[in-house]
Amino acid sequence: MPQKLNRWPARMDLLQSGTGLLLVMFIWGHMFFESSILLGHEAMYWVTRMFEGEHLFGRPYPLLVSAAAAIVLLLIALHALLALRKFPANYRQYQRMNTHMAAMRHMDTTLWYVQVITGFLLFFLASAHLLVVLVQPDNIGPYASSDRIWSGRFWILYASLLLVVHVHAGIGIYRLAMKWGPFSAASSGLWRGRIRLALYCIVAFYLCLGTASLITYMRIGAEHAPYAGERYVPTHASGAH
Amino acid sequence: MNTIPVSQQRTLNISVLRHNPADPDSEPHMQTFQVEDADAMTLFVALNLIREEQDPSLHFDFVCRAGICGSCGMIINGRPGLACRTLTRDLPDDITLAPLPGFELIADLSVNTGKWMRGMAERLETWVHAQGLEQIDLSAIEAPMEPELAQQLYELERCIECGCCIAACGTAQMREDFVGAVGLNQVTRFRLDPRDERTDAQFYELVGDDTGVFGCMTLLGCQDMCPKDLPLATQIAFLRRRMVAV
Amino acid sequence: MPVSATFQRTRPGHTSMQIIYTDVLVIGGGLAGQRAAIGARRRGNEVIILSLVPAKRSHSAAAQGGMQASLGNCLGGAGDNEDLHFADTVRGSDWGADQEVVRMFAHTAPKAIRELAAWGVPWSRVQRGDHEISEDGKKKTITESDAAHGLITSRNFGGTAKWRACYVSDGTGHAMLYAMSNQAIAAGIPVHERTEAIALIHEGERCCGAIVRNLVSGELIAYMARATCIASGGFGRIYRVSTNAVINEGMGAAIALETGLATLGNMEAVQFHPTGIFPAGILVTEGCRGDGGLLLDGSGHRFMPDYEPEKRELASRDVVSRRMEEHITAGHGAQSRFGEHLWLDIRLLGADHINGQLREVKEICQYFLGIDPAHELIPVRPAQHYSMGGVRTDARGQSPQLKGLFAVGEAACWDMHGFNRLGGNSVAETVVAGMIVGDTIADFCASAEGQLQLSTSLAGDFMRRESDKLKAIAQNGGGESAVELTRQMQETMTSNVGIFRHGEKLERAVSALQDLQQRAAHVGLRNANRGPNPELVAAYRLPRMLKLALCVAQGALLRTESRGAHFRDDYPQRNDLQWMKRTLASWPGDHDQLPTFDYEPLDILGMELPPGWRGYGARDYIDHPDTAIREQQIKHLLAAAGELDRHQRQNLLMPFMHLLPPLFQGRNQRLENSE
Repeated sequence: MPQKLNRWPARMDLLQSGTGLLLVMFIWGHMFFESSILLGHEAMYWVTRMFEGEHLFGRPYPLLVSAAAAIVLLLIALHALLALRKFPANYRQYQRMNTHMAAMRHMDTTLWYVQVITGFLLFFLASAHLLVVLVQPDNIGPYASSDRIWSGRFWILYASLLLVVHVHAGIGIYRLAMKWGPFSAASSGLWRGRIRLALYCIVAFYLCLGTASLITYMRIGAEHAPYAGERYVPTHASGAH
Repeated sequence: MNTIPVSQQRTLNISVLRHNPADPDSEPHMQTFQVEDADAMTLFVALNLIREEQDPSLHFDFVCRAGICGSCGMIINGRPGLACRTLTRDLPDDITLAPLPGFELIADLSVNTGKWMRGMAERLETWVHAQGLEQIDLSAIEAPMEPELAQQLYELERCIECGCCIAACGTAQMREDFVGAVGLNQVTRFRLDPRDERTDAQFYELVGDDTGVFGCMTLLGCQDMCPKDLPLATQIAFLRRRMVAV
Repeated sequence: MPVSATFQRTRPGHTSMQIIYTDVLVIGGGLAGQRAAIGARRRGNEVIILSLVPAKRSHSAAAQGGMQASLGNCLGGAGDNEDLHFADTVRGSDWGADQEVVRMFAHTAPKAIRELAAWGVPWSRVQRGDHEISEDGKKKTITESDAAHGLITSRNFGGTAKWRACYVSDGTGHAMLYAMSNQAIAAGIPVHERTEAIALIHEGERCCGAIVRNLVSGELIAYMARATCIASGGFGRIYRVSTNAVINEGMGAAIALETGLATLGNMEAVQFHPTGIFPAGILVTEGCRGDGGLLLDGSGHRFMPDYEPEKRELASRDVVSRRMEEHITAGHGAQSRFGEHLWLDIRLLGADHINGQLREVKEICQYFLGIDPAHELIPVRPAQHYSMGGVRTDARGQSPQLKGLFAVGEAACWDMHGFNRLGGNSVAETVVAGMIVGDTIADFCASAEGQLQLSTSLAGDFMRRESDKLKAIAQNGGGESAVELTRQMQETMTSNVGIFRHGEKLERAVSALQDLQQRAAHVGLRNANRGPNPELVAAYRLPRMLKLALCVAQGALLRTESRGAHFRDDYPQRNDLQWMKRTLASWPGDHDQLPTFDYEPLDILGMELPPGWRGYGARDYIDHPDTAIREQQIKHLLAAAGELDRHQRQNLLMPFMHLLPPLFQGRNQRLENSE
């Protein structure tokens, strides 16, 4: 070899995709835990405690949640930073892209623009959410969360976050599949259709799931509003004490 | 038995984005021409009619007029395509034509794809790299090759360098130094060819950055607009995986 | 853009005339021009290619079906060799070809294929085992051997004894052109795109380059070169219905003609391809018929076996085209609103074969006709396809009249095609001739002859002359339109100088063309735009195209016989007695009304294959007494020599190896003699 290869472009491309994939996996998993409220206060409480490590260490460490939030925040920052490389670097590029997209009316090109916008929004919405979790890790629970959502008016943030994050995640996974997927030339069109269909379904599913649980939190929050601030006490625990 | 298509007579309004950079007084503007539609009329026929009967200064490029040389790529109602094989019966009454963006404009619908493609070929060294190419024994029986491999190579070699993938690519529109699907596809073609002795590390040196394979944002315009239906996205994905593994 | 190997010099005080100096100037960036350029470059010369369009868009890319070379790898090609290729080509030419040149060609063709294989052309390969093929309308199974597996395969084409057309699916020309262009780029040969040579610079009988117009900026540049090579392709666009690209207007041949010195050979020999899609005239390859496709008439009847029981659809192109027109005239055409046509049926080949080996055909049918050829018939009618004639050269590609002027490919009359070219022999010629002529040019540049005192004043004289001509055209206030006159010329050629020719029609054509020529002097322009000006281009090309058209029409009128593609209703026989000669047209006076004709005899006594029946087409012809003498000579020579192998036998009858560059003299190895 005449000279040492600069592997950074490869690493950064991989890292951008990798952080994206991790974040999507996180958010898709997160949705299930978050929507445990649909199964009742008890289930949600259990999940909360699990993340605080109670089942492992015998007592909850909310700091664990803070740590997780910090890692996710870091991933987002890294992902955003890497994605930023691909954004229009100046007004001329922005304008060319705009003209191009408007003329072509091509779905995948337009979707990229949707990614840019949702990504931009996520940077604020997700950060806001994560910062709250980061500084108040113990403020999660059937009542604590519901109060935050209803009495604290956080439902506005979460409703927009829900929509934006799933659109971004769905498009992102579709693009990841097309970007790296080892499809044969003959079958790539078929796979593209299948993946697109699958993601429509997945995004729709998560939006329903998220909406249902958000409404549940809001309902609980509304009912609990007079006692806002009081924490949930598990039934079996209250009996034991 | 007559299968030659017959269409209804109608008047087409063909609007052309006109500009002659060699003329300091010329400003880019749209000009609309009326043309009577005819059976089996292509944009090749329509544009020539306009030039012959309405405006002799109208500039455009056609060579083979059979969809194989790649000269006549242009933006047809917003999307890139080969004008010579676009039948007017597949288009609405109002047709808008513009030169391919991303290339140096010569005049009206004519752009300098040749210069761009030559630059790309020089940069990516799109030729078989092998020792002793000048001393081949021309009398000896050729080296065998698996028939299937030859067929695969041809599939990738069907690219006619028309430039539609560049015009269809958001990345290429933003970044002038991006080699585009046309370049990346050719790299995969030579990488697949056992006659080319280059290693992946050598290919990495050619395309291993944001002007190459890592610049691609997978907007898939290239694959969707390719007049030759080349599996461009698949090839780029393949190349990306290989280059990451270097 | 590459850094040009040449240097530019602008002389102050010389009205800023731009001169570019180079060793070799190649006019035309198709297969022939680029191969010649590579050959000259490899031997250390500075080379510049001029091209009307980007080199990879040249018309060479349109060759679909295959390139003839006697590799003999596949079963259908087994036993093939140079002798058979030679004989097929000579018969195809109706004995109009230069047999020594045909020998050089047949010998070098396998080398050309192998060189291109090393350069990356993905030639289709032999697949061992059973294959189902279509032959004569019937299915049949053939078995390819293990030994041939992976070697370059070939398909059947018209007028050949063996399956000899090596191919890359049906994008043969495209794949070849891309490999060639990429090699030229690798060699650092600059291609000056969108430039047009509008005059050759010559000092007496020495050609020293060309005056070149930049089609984008409109400026004129003088290119001074030790050797100039015309490789600009054919002139099909003097016809209305042609398979040729729109750039095939014969300008290379025309500027050679306008020197008044160089001659054009056999211009009346114009080929019509049987299967141009109707009515657009776009080509569908002979490979369709080679692979088993059939020609049907209006009532769905397969008519070719009625006329040509031996070769059926696969007789030579001139014969098939004539039979098709004959059949239409007899009232058997299919009717359509555009006129009458016939059908090409490739449905029997099956969708798999069409999708794999006839992809371009499928695309063309899909986009231009809206049909799927796997299920529907393709409307076809013969269309002008190839110019056998062109700048007359010697066996090494140099003009006999102008030193330092070379010609190669379709633009040349090297004369391996005579009066009819076989399918697949043209792409083969481009590369083979490019190899030979490229080497010849290098020899020439290295010799004393190739030395040249480049004179700026000479370039200045030509520059002024051309510049004045263009100014005169631009300022001409005449009422004629170049486009309209061009259309009339094309119509005249298609109706009167087509497949069936007749004295009266030809006379009418000549006088119509002369009339057009006079009107061409009054062409006025409607716009005087700076930069690219298509109207001006049409105006200055028109008189040149008319000159070529006159060479064709008048040459056809004078040739009172039928030979190959040149068919005269009023003289339907081949007449070896009177016409065993090559037509040479020149245009000595600028204001001449007609070309001057001269004839170069073809010496039957030197022929390896004396004239006879072609094996298809008409059997009656008027013999030359030399034919019998030569046949006797050959018999005696062979008898006297005793036991000979085929190479010795060939060398005895007509030695040609001395004409080939040493580089290409080696004996071609084949599967059968390598074991």
